[in-house]
Amino acid sequence: MARSLRIAVVGHTNTGKTSLLRTLTRDTGFGEVSSRPSTTRHVEGARLLADGEVLVELYDTPGLEDPIALLERVEAIEADAGEDKRLDGFTRIERFLQTPVAGRRFEQEAKVLRQMLASDAAFYVVDARDPVLAKHRDELAILANCAIPLLPVLNFVLDPAADESSWREALARLGLHAVVRFDTVAPERGGERRLYEKLATLVDEHRPALERLVASREREAQARHAAGLRVLAELLVDVAAARATVAADPESIRAAVAELHEKVRRREQVGVDALLTLYRFRRDDVDAAALPLLDGRWENDLFNPETFRAMGIGLGTGAAAGAAAGVGIDLMLGGLTLGTAALLGAIAGGGWQAMRQFGDRVVERLRGQRELSVDDGILRLLAVRQMRLLRALEARGHAAIAPIRLVDPAEKQWREGPIPEPLLRARAHSDWSALFEPRADGPGREETVTALAERLANAPEG
Amino acid sequence: MILHSPDSLRLSSFELRWLAEALRRREERSGPLEDREAVAAACTAGGGLEARVLRRAQVLGEREGLAAGVTSWVGRARLATLLLGALALASGFGAAVAVLGDGTRAVNVVWALGGLLGIHLLSLLLWLAGLGLGGRDGGGLLGRAWLGLSSRLSGARETVDVTQALVGLLGPPRLLRWWLGAVTHGVWLAALAGAVVGLIVTLATRRYGFVWETTILPADAFVRAVRLVGGLPAQFGFAMPDAEAVRASGDAVQSGEAARIAWSSWLLGCVVAYGVVPRLFLASVCFGLWRSGRSRLRIDVALPGYAVLVPRLMPASERIGVTDADPGRMPGPHVEGRRSGGTGRAMLVALELAGQADWPPPLPPGASDAGVVDSREDRKQAVAALRADPPARLLVACDARQSPDRGSLELIAELSRHANDSRVLLVGAGQMDAGDRRQHWRDGLRGIGMASERVDDNPARALAWLGATEREDG
Repeated sequence: MARSLRIAVVGHTNTGKTSLLRTLTRDTGFGEVSSRPSTTRHVEGARLLADGEVLVELYDTPGLEDPIALLERVEAIEADAGEDKRLDGFTRIERFLQTPVAGRRFEQEAKVLRQMLASDAAFYVVDARDPVLAKHRDELAILANCAIPLLPVLNFVLDPAADESSWREALARLGLHAVVRFDTVAPERGGERRLYEKLATLVDEHRPALERLVASREREAQARHAAGLRVLAELLVDVAAARATVAADPESIRAAVAELHEKVRRREQVGVDALLTLYRFRRDDVDAAALPLLDGRWENDLFNPETFRAMGIGLGTGAAAGAAAGVGIDLMLGGLTLGTAALLGAIAGGGWQAMRQFGDRVVERLRGQRELSVDDGILRLLAVRQMRLLRALEARGHAAIAPIRLVDPAEKQWREGPIPEPLLRARAHSDWSALFEPRADGPGREETVTALAERLANAPEG
Repeated sequence: MILHSPDSLRLSSFELRWLAEALRRREERSGPLEDREAVAAACTAGGGLEARVLRRAQVLGEREGLAAGVTSWVGRARLATLLLGALALASGFGAAVAVLGDGTRAVNVVWALGGLLGIHLLSLLLWLAGLGLGGRDGGGLLGRAWLGLSSRLSGARETVDVTQALVGLLGPPRLLRWWLGAVTHGVWLAALAGAVVGLIVTLATRRYGFVWETTILPADAFVRAVRLVGGLPAQFGFAMPDAEAVRASGDAVQSGEAARIAWSSWLLGCVVAYGVVPRLFLASVCFGLWRSGRSRLRIDVALPGYAVLVPRLMPASERIGVTDADPGRMPGPHVEGRRSGGTGRAMLVALELAGQADWPPPLPPGASDAGVVDSREDRKQAVAALRADPPARLLVACDARQSPDRGSLELIAELSRHANDSRVLLVGAGQMDAGDRRQHWRDGLRGIGMASERVDDNPARALAWLGATEREDG
């Protein structure tokens, strides 16, 4: 293809044109956005890239502010004296742009029209909360004269004040039947794909480029998801593998418990920060409230029994008799356990390492020392909590967030099902935990993290 | 793909990936590095995501000393290989000399063969077993020792990162075992080659007699064993003592030249066929697998450490910039000062007021309703009506939930020019979401010269003002 697809983003003033550009370009600093009308008074462009290749150019334009007077002006343009013909709409627009008034009173509108003429297609952004007025009809009549395909984009459709059907009807009357709903600030899941697919029906020769763009965007999202799961898997392996040796007297146990608590807490925060970075989340983002965090941190402490109850893990889950027993120990030792769970895990994890670890333990027992490790309940809680955060981050920017289902199958699996095998394996390798330096980065750890991330990705359905 | 800039350290593409991995680990441990320059370089170089990650790693690695860490690691690994190889060669030579002795005593062929090949065969079996079990330590002990030696020859902090990165990079694709395997077998090959040389040198310069000894085994067992063991070397052209000679060697040292040569050839053949050849074969297989695996090796860009770089290395968009600039000046409409000459009537006109069920409101006596103005024709009619009969007071009602635009303000200005006094009523201002826009209306109206006391969002008050005409004039 010789040239990338050029799209003008047009619309009445203050309908969210710049927001649409920000969302499609993933560039939150593009242009200037405010609730104030006529914020954008210039034409500013951005190229959409997929794998480093320019596929689409988008141009943000000023809002059309006085379409009624503009249409009157355009319609008043007559053929020159020598010409013996009726002027078509396109010629009128061209001639209008040469008139002096296009540089003065209608400067803003002229910019829009010039950009329309230089583009292959246009998005006509509609604030669906506005009633359909004569000025909008006149606006569409002018834009139709520019002779490029126009795709109306209904913004703010999820607002209770939105009147989508009136808009659709009015647009259909003007011959605009391809219409797409796209909330520019919080698009629905798959909204971007629908937007480009609709656009492809209007500019068929650019369909391959648009398909590549969609594929690239979806691939990016999947890659980010996979990386998120890996962050989560690393956290779980670090915590599951953590083990501290303590003398058997209550004083040392208390001190060691406090230390391990702090280490696990800090490690969880590292995971949270990594997820926030991965999803390019900033504290001042508009949707900060949509995350289950307070100022970038979980509100409830990990080792607070109340947190367990809130997340549905604990004595109340009934069916999880085994887990309940584990939590019993938790409540006594604040989420940590002396030996048993880790030992069982070590044996289940198997292999030479486990035997060696077992030997180490016997020696420690003989020396009057005990081992402290993080209980299964905490692992479950961490998994559930971080998965929720991941989901919230992915749903972010996507409207119609379904309320978090308390019986999410993946969560249920983590709450009540057996601890996955890779974590049991991690139990047997205290040297895999980053909680205690130095961490040994054998291939075994990598494999375990990968296996766990896969397990998290393929959580059983239903 | 050009990954080198002329002034940078020469790193092979494998070493670059290794460097990227080392950098990822360091950033994971101690936080992201300042990389604006490196990202810019990567974006300029272009290419796929991996190429950009590698380019960034190269720039940062050179700055942080990790690239030097990798090259010096490679240098040390070469040195370690040389040292181990030389040591192995010397030990093999020494072992051969020691096994044969100084020629004062006859050589016991069983012990000689066992001494030369025993440990080698045992370690080979262990390596094969490790490979068969798919063990993670499939590299062999010598390879591990070499890895340890290569990383411990320097105590620098970079070395730890670099070694861990190597293990991490080669672990998941199971490449480490082929690499370490190649080293293990290569070192053994050197040792066995040393032994062969040792054997040839000593056999050439000293006279040895060969015997075998047994207390409980029959002589025939030896004859069969020698034949069996010598079968494979015979394929390579090594001689084998015949049954007579074997039997005779069991009784006494054979002084015949033929028997001596046959035994020497058999011994040498065994070391070559069971030592040198398998090790050579395995070393080349491991090396081949390592080379082909290395050329297929790619960094896993799905790892979180790389995934966070994607938005910056592979931006979803780039800005073109302003193509049609803001003129800076916006000639706007303006409300002119109060004028007189109106007939004294009061008039209400609504602007683009759609879907208002309770419109028009009950009007004060004497006031008339000019309807709702929306289209061009409506506008013209309204202006014409006002021009024909200018009112004393004009109240323009606007929908506060919509955005004010220049067209509406222009119309308000024009209408107000035909009235003695005019005010604006913002309808629906009390409803939700109107907060911002009500303020925008007020700002816009102030912009056209309508002071804020002339803008009202209380219908009762505005209508009362409209109704006050009579009294004021009267």
